[in-house]
Amino acid sequence: MKFRLSLARKGAKFVAGCVTAFVLSAPAAKSQDWFHLETNRGDSDRIRIAVADFKASSADPKTAPYKRTFDATLFNDLSNAGIFDMVSKAMNPQSMPGFQAELSIAQWSGAPGNASMVAFGNLTVQDNRLVVNGFLDDTHNTQFPQIFAKQYNEDGSDDSARQIAHRFADEIISRLGGGIPGIAETKIYYVKIGDGGKEIWEMDYDGANQHAITHLGSISLSPRVSPDNSRLAFSSLTHEGFEIKMYSLLLGRQVNFAGAGGTNVSPAWAPDGQHVAYSSSRGGDPDIWVSNADGSAAHKITSFRGPDVSPVWNPRTGAQIAWISGRSGLPQLYIMDADGSGVQRLTDGGYATSPSWSPNGQFVTFAWDRKYGPGAPGGQDIYVMEIASKKWIQLTHDGGRCDFPSWSPDGRHIVFANSPDGRGAHTRIMTMNADGSNKRALTSSGGDMPNWSWR
Amino acid sequence: MASARSNPERMDDGFAGGMTGAVVLHVALIGALVLVALYSQSHRKDWGEDTSTVGAIQASLVSAIPLPPKAPPVEKAVLASEDESKVPEATPKEKAAPPPKPTDVLIKARTSEKPPLKTAPTPTEAPPKHPQPTPPTPKAAAGDAAPQLPQSAVQMKNGAGTLTIQSKTFGTRYAYYLRIVANKVQNNYFEQDIDGHSALNKSAVVVFDILRDGSVANLKLENASGSSSLDGAAMHTIQRIDSFGALPEGDRITIEYKFDYHSGRS
Repeated sequence: MKFRLSLARKGAKFVAGCVTAFVLSAPAAKSQDWFHLETNRGDSDRIRIAVADFKASSADPKTAPYKRTFDATLFNDLSNAGIFDMVSKAMNPQSMPGFQAELSIAQWSGAPGNASMVAFGNLTVQDNRLVVNGFLDDTHNTQFPQIFAKQYNEDGSDDSARQIAHRFADEIISRLGGGIPGIAETKIYYVKIGDGGKEIWEMDYDGANQHAITHLGSISLSPRVSPDNSRLAFSSLTHEGFEIKMYSLLLGRQVNFAGAGGTNVSPAWAPDGQHVAYSSSRGGDPDIWVSNADGSAAHKITSFRGPDVSPVWNPRTGAQIAWISGRSGLPQLYIMDADGSGVQRLTDGGYATSPSWSPNGQFVTFAWDRKYGPGAPGGQDIYVMEIASKKWIQLTHDGGRCDFPSWSPDGRHIVFANSPDGRGAHTRIMTMNADGSNKRALTSSGGDMPNWSWR
Repeated sequence: MASARSNPERMDDGFAGGMTGAVVLHVALIGALVLVALYSQSHRKDWGEDTSTVGAIQASLVSAIPLPPKAPPVEKAVLASEDESKVPEATPKEKAAPPPKPTDVLIKARTSEKPPLKTAPTPTEAPPKHPQPTPPTPKAAAGDAAPQLPQSAVQMKNGAGTLTIQSKTFGTRYAYYLRIVANKVQNNYFEQDIDGHSALNKSAVVVFDILRDGSVANLKLENASGSSSLDGAAMHTIQRIDSFGALPEGDRITIEYKFDYHSGRS
């Protein structure tokens, strides 16, 4: 008995120790991020690229700040692309080549950089014009090292320095990416939560250059940019309720979109840019309607009882629409042909919202609360499902409430809205690689419903 | 009694009549039987010999009967498997001895391929001093197939793949593009799909064009490996790829890609 008792005591002590250890370690564990373990066959074969600081070849005092912006933006763009093995700038040689003749390939291809590609060039400010010459060289090819040379000539401003860096980065990615389009010039449209309401804002893909598009003093939601970047569809609260609005980014003002009464939300562009699908309750029950881009010729393509919202076209074929339907109770993810036939349910339960179709048409990403209900474990996270196999993976874990995922046009990134503590006012926009790695915030609190432009 | 007397008389009369009737009946019956037999025999000959009308039935019978004969194939298979089991016994001995040799051979092959890589720069280092137009002519004159091939030859991780391009000038000028192509092919080459037993030490060669916009055209299997799974994996690898990225120059290039399977993985 004594022996047993001592054992029991020891056990109790052990348990107590564990509990204290756990309690003590809990804050530390909470502060730690999710651990990622991944295997990627292609990872070791990524092209190792060195980016030289560009050579300032003018004495203009504005040269230095432009050059700083340009160098930082170019390096970030190339590392964000996710297809390069970046050589740290600390490993770059001392010499700063500005022209092809000034580049000593051996310095870059050798240790410690071991770069197989070098991007370099020079930057000049002349008469308030910013002129950038950019070069890309292949260090393995001593005979013909130069891959391309580009000259950019823009009005001198910090923004144009950034845009030139984006264009140069996209050019490098299009040459070396093996068919992956660059996204450095793409934009993200989102909802800015302000004091007086919600307006539509625009920013560069890396979170820079945030500025307002609409000034309606109302509540505007779910911006969706057209495939040719010319128009922006969104839903806005008017005296008649939520209506679909159309904003021309070329004209800088609202253009006509025929209203119809009822609640009209979540517009989506067909990849041909000629049609818009949205959810409308003009007939009493929220259904998916398809109309021309000016709101004419609207017709209903779903007619089941229960709400149907958040349509999104297959951007590759334009022949299918994924959407969220509550016809069987909680909202689930469905796909159908663009005429409303061939309905398939993709999710098997939980609470699914806001789908976004990958550019190659193979996957759909959506927000999903798999165990929805009081006291259920988990929360709302971002998932990706392969349409053909209906296999899914979870991309976000324990990061708070996540919603509104949107694919980048290269299909390698997903932008989404995240609220670390679940409060709507604290929602911010985050981006990540499409495998869930490399998450980072693009905006501070107050950004919601992001939509990545088509190109 | 009167009835007994009268009965024999009647019996006599009845007997003669009945007898003749019976005889006639039997003769008729026999005759009918003979006729039927003759008719049926004659008809049966036609029926049996006429293959056109009854062939289907015969064919179905023949095809139905082989179902039991499946037993003999099993016996044959058993025999065959015995043969196979004998063969593997022989081959392991061969393999047991060769394994050093194949590696030696492979290493020799690799080393023999790599030296050209080293030799290639030495002739190419001189040209840069000269204007660019000159390099194509020395190549055309010398026909440097050896330095050309290694520049576009690419070793794959598990089971080597080799990329060959017809245009030598493209291969030297845009070697980086070919590296991207080889890399992309390798990333889409899934060896899980390959039956390791039948594909071992075999190689499939596919030929395809890359068009100006980077898309793939005219994909075909140039040399079948003899393993359908390896052939299929090689074809699917290229089919899986939408675009290699726009060509740096020209409207199309032709790529020959050799998929090897040397795996000792499974």
